[in-house]
Amino acid sequence: MQSTMANPTATTPATLPCLGPKGSAGAELRATPSNKPQSLDFWRLLYVLLKQIHGSRWTESDAIDTQIRFVKSALWYHGYDRPQLHQLPPDGSVGSRELLLAFSWLLHRLGLLEQLLARNRVKTGDETSVCTCEDDLPNRQEGTTEAGPEGGLEGVVDVRYLQWLNGRLRFQWHSLHAQHQEQCKLLHKIHLFTSGSHMDQILGHFSVTETDLIRQPENYKQLLHLLESETMQLEAFLEWKQLEPVYWQWMETVLDNMAEEGNIWEAQDAHGEKRRLPEVTSCCPWADKLTGQMDRLSRDLMALQDQLHQLVTQRKAAWWEKVAAREELQKEGFSAATRKIQESAEVKLRGLAFIHAPKKNKMHGSCRLVLRNKHPASKMGFGQSQVSKEPVSAVSATEVIRELQMREASLQRELEQLREECRQRLDEIAEGLEGVICISP
Amino acid sequence: MSIVTVQLGQCGNQIGHEVFSALCSDIRGSHGLCSKKENESYHDSCKERFFCEEESGVPIARAVLVDMEPKVISQTLSMAARSGHWKYNSHSHFCQKQGSGNNWANGYSVHGPRHKEAIMNLVQKEAEKCDRLGGFFTIMSMAGGTGSGLGAFVTQCLRDAFPTSFILNHVIWPYGTGEVIVQNYNSVLTLSHLYQSSDALLVHENDVIHKICAQLMNIKQISFRDVNQVIAHQLGSVFQPTHTAGEGSGYSRNPLGDLMETLVPHPEFKLLGLRNIPQMPENSLAYSTFSWPGLIKHLRQMLIANAKMEEGIDWQVRPPHPGSSIPSTNKPLHFNTSIANLVILRGKDVHDVDLGSFQDPSLYTSWLNPQDAFSAWKTPRAFNKYEKSASLVSNSQFLLKPLDSIVGKAWNMFASKAYLHQYTKFGIQEEDFLDCFTTLEQVISSYTNL
Repeated sequence: MQSTMANPTATTPATLPCLGPKGSAGAELRATPSNKPQSLDFWRLLYVLLKQIHGSRWTESDAIDTQIRFVKSALWYHGYDRPQLHQLPPDGSVGSRELLLAFSWLLHRLGLLEQLLARNRVKTGDETSVCTCEDDLPNRQEGTTEAGPEGGLEGVVDVRYLQWLNGRLRFQWHSLHAQHQEQCKLLHKIHLFTSGSHMDQILGHFSVTETDLIRQPENYKQLLHLLESETMQLEAFLEWKQLEPVYWQWMETVLDNMAEEGNIWEAQDAHGEKRRLPEVTSCCPWADKLTGQMDRLSRDLMALQDQLHQLVTQRKAAWWEKVAAREELQKEGFSAATRKIQESAEVKLRGLAFIHAPKKNKMHGSCRLVLRNKHPASKMGFGQSQVSKEPVSAVSATEVIRELQMREASLQRELEQLREECRQRLDEIAEGLEGVICISP
Repeated sequence: MSIVTVQLGQCGNQIGHEVFSALCSDIRGSHGLCSKKENESYHDSCKERFFCEEESGVPIARAVLVDMEPKVISQTLSMAARSGHWKYNSHSHFCQKQGSGNNWANGYSVHGPRHKEAIMNLVQKEAEKCDRLGGFFTIMSMAGGTGSGLGAFVTQCLRDAFPTSFILNHVIWPYGTGEVIVQNYNSVLTLSHLYQSSDALLVHENDVIHKICAQLMNIKQISFRDVNQVIAHQLGSVFQPTHTAGEGSGYSRNPLGDLMETLVPHPEFKLLGLRNIPQMPENSLAYSTFSWPGLIKHLRQMLIANAKMEEGIDWQVRPPHPGSSIPSTNKPLHFNTSIANLVILRGKDVHDVDLGSFQDPSLYTSWLNPQDAFSAWKTPRAFNKYEKSASLVSNSQFLLKPLDSIVGKAWNMFASKAYLHQYTKFGIQEEDFLDCFTTLEQVISSYTNL
């Protein structure tokens, strides 16, 4: 199995048939749940696969118990909390059947093979990552961080040092932002200068990898090698897809065997759905999520009511301002003021609409940037890259930007709310102390 | 990575011109004292930062020139073009036909808003020419009338238009016995406004540079040109390319960001002082040799004794004893406490220099340890014909006394309401003055309690 470590994706589909009901190895597996060399290798296989998914490097020299610990924590992270697996001994001597279950679960639940294929694709250099997912906020505990001088002077950090670190973080973020802008600018240049040269009419321009190849043709060997290995993986994947139904049939038999042996679990559907066991100590995440969402909803409704009320009073105030200002200001000043009021109302309304908007398809993952020359007269900023609507599913960058801006606005509102809460709490505390005046920023 | 320079007012434009001249002559000179590859790399990096290439081959400075009257700008443009080695973009300047009477409030409240769009258009054009905008570097005097008022307004506009860019304001501190009666008002207004929008304020004091010219450079009749050339040399020693991440890495592609991150992350502490040694007339350079230990020792003592130049340093001042329990009260008088320091070394044998003396924790405030507080940038490429040159950019109590003095004088004038009508008639009310005083008192108090 050592040689298969190098290219697990190619061999997994190849090895699986031999683990199937026809192979002798399969027969052994069903008969004896523990088989020392096989489970050890299986741990290692899972280790390699999970490391690849998480994008980290791995070496064969890692100790077996480190590998086992990693596999267990990675499985837990993805939501697999079957205690029979997590209680397996750290020397890897037993448990090949449990590992088989976990493996099937990964195949089905996480799309293990698809993820590996995606990771190993040849890069065009035009990729960017997008994430418009709503953060599922973890259960916020009430009464967080009661900051008090508990441990005496040793444990206390000077707040100025924290401010220092915060400032450094902010500057680093600004530098990252500038770097990103540079990358986009240069990418735009490449796309612009090579437009019209590509064989693919729909695409129209070269990618970074292709442009690099033109500048340094001697690198073609490397690129060719990468493309060949990707093709091999894809072919292996196709083979696997043909044999897949056989695999799942076999898994059903394995599960039936386990049910006969009377394990403590209800008969679930054969594709190894996540099992929820009552004795697991952490609270049921699904129920928590629901109550959390209900709380959020009620808070949102309250916030919405406040905002509407605020908007009405603001509108009234703005109207009176308009009337007063009209008599004083010149014409340009007046229209500027009304424009500003209009814009701010629009932003607020858009934000409110967003809260109510049905959950659109959230984008997540990496996509390729393609330059479109829809309006040759318009300014070609890097934000204007658009993607064509045919054959590949595509979305306009301006849409994504607008979504992200709305998200930013709502997060900003939330930040303001939290700040206001902190301010009020500080004021309350300051009132309690004698001779102290609190001036909040 | 490119820096856009905004030259504001007469002072800003004259100094800006000297800065670009100094940078250009440094990269053209063959006194690099380093390998050819290093020299070329330095050359390319400096070019990318401050100039952009045109078909004519003459590098064009990435700068926007702003002034209310045309005289200084046209002089600056023509002097640069005459040099033949570099020039300004003929469109990147803004001026008006008539001056505006040397009034801060006029510059801030009237000229600023009126000409905001035109000025910001020029800045935007320059920014777009950069592949990577590394930040803005503005040059202005603090106490002049329109330059400082307009400069404060323009800095605010820069911050609004580029919220994530680095903004470094180079500010000229006026002569103590200056000619403008209301210079203290102007200074207070400028400093407090800049503190809100800028990331860092790098200060040069006219009195100090004047002394350097007189005592170190042996100039008999000191003109503004001489003063500006010393300032340009000191600025060049900070902004020319360096390796910020150790030997073997390329020249830094983010100098302003690196500077900000090491020196001014804390929003209360933004005042930076600059010291550079050695400084001497060019014709004496050939006969002098320097050693790094000597230079470092002098620079360190200049830091802790708050000396302005390498002559007349008070060697009696010592850092407080380690192990003293309450640093602020036990620190001996006249000792200059630092928050953070950056030492920049250029020239021969730079990799062997021992900077341990700068990492002494007693130099620094109690809440920051020397790993966070001290950084060093180096390059083996010599700067401006100096075989060895060391600069110190310091966020410390350097400017505490001058700031306190200016605020005190301004307050006395304010208490007797002298000359306030010049400001109120353009919209700067007494409450605005009070806000500015409060801001600066806060800054003074923060720096005092290190």
